[in-house]
Amino acid sequence: MSNAMNFGTKSFKPRAPDKGSFPLDHFGECKAFKERFMKCLKDNSFDNAKCRLQSKDYLECRMDNQLMAKEPLSRLGFKDLMDPPPSQADGDTKP
Amino acid sequence: MLLPLLVCPPRASAVLTRCVRTLPCGASRTPLHTQAEHFLRRRLPPRLHLHSRGTKSRGRGFKSQEEEWKTRNKTVLTYIAAAGVGMIGLSYAAVPLYRLYCQASGLGGTAVAGHDADQVETMTPVKERVLKISFNADTHASMQWNFRPQQTEIFVVPGETALAFYRAKNPTDQPIIGISTYNVVPFEAGQYFNKIQCFCFEEQRLNPHEEVDMPVFFYIDPEFDEDPRMARVDTIILSYTFFEAKEGQKLPLPGY
Repeated sequence: MSNAMNFGTKSFKPRAPDKGSFPLDHFGECKAFKERFMKCLKDNSFDNAKCRLQSKDYLECRMDNQLMAKEPLSRLGFKDLMDPPPSQADGDTKP
Repeated sequence: MLLPLLVCPPRASAVLTRCVRTLPCGASRTPLHTQAEHFLRRRLPPRLHLHSRGTKSRGRGFKSQEEEWKTRNKTVLTYIAAAGVGMIGLSYAAVPLYRLYCQASGLGGTAVAGHDADQVETMTPVKERVLKISFNADTHASMQWNFRPQQTEIFVVPGETALAFYRAKNPTDQPIIGISTYNVVPFEAGQYFNKIQCFCFEEQRLNPHEEVDMPVFFYIDPEFDEDPRMARVDTIILSYTFFEAKEGQKLPLPGY
């Protein structure tokens, strides 16, 4: 790894994840959502910006199946996907 | 011829002076004569003071020497005191300076710019800067899982959360517990790479012949775009390595 302790060399310091670790999906409850997400990625040449809806669905599935701590999706960076599409004016002012 | 005169004792020089003076005055002063007088005169004055050196001249010279020593000591002491005060001041100044240096270089795991957990809600994606995140998966030599990423790369922008998947399979007939760590290359970009949730640093147990999907939910901090050192960084490689964890082993976890 990067444990060369030479003075002056920058070494990588791994950090713990903010919300901890995902419990393993032993029963494949969210596998369908994952497949949908992977297909979307393949179709869009692995552009994450186009597949955010699918990733949101996957995380929602995890939350529903006790595989992830429930949290408002806006706290996970999906604020823009939460706004109802017709009212774009509201979307700008929503916190 | 005049050289022996210089090594004569004082009495001899006095005699010689009288000899020189008895030369006919009317005779023109030859160069030799003047030279002889010059030599003798030069020799005499120091000799006159020979006896008085112990008292007068010593007193005068000694006093000035002492004063000289005093002033010199004073200046030296002043310089030493100034250096001492300077050192103390430097040691106080070193604390904020070192903190600044650590923030800039990311040493020592200090809280560096680019890692703020509350900003996930409020950050806006920097859509102009597209980064390619490549994925790499490794296992330790004695770890028998099949561990690989499900996508080779993904294109993200700073400020946008992204999801990526790895897959792990336990092909053996025994349950194996694994624990992983990760690495980000280039190292300086690692401070901007924030994982919201992943599967690292905790024991993951796989039953025999079980295969699971392991997600990584992360984002690149928007401040990445403003860092001049990251201006030419377009590819970030995220590498996970799985090790086998023995039962009852207590491993040190970073940041916990």
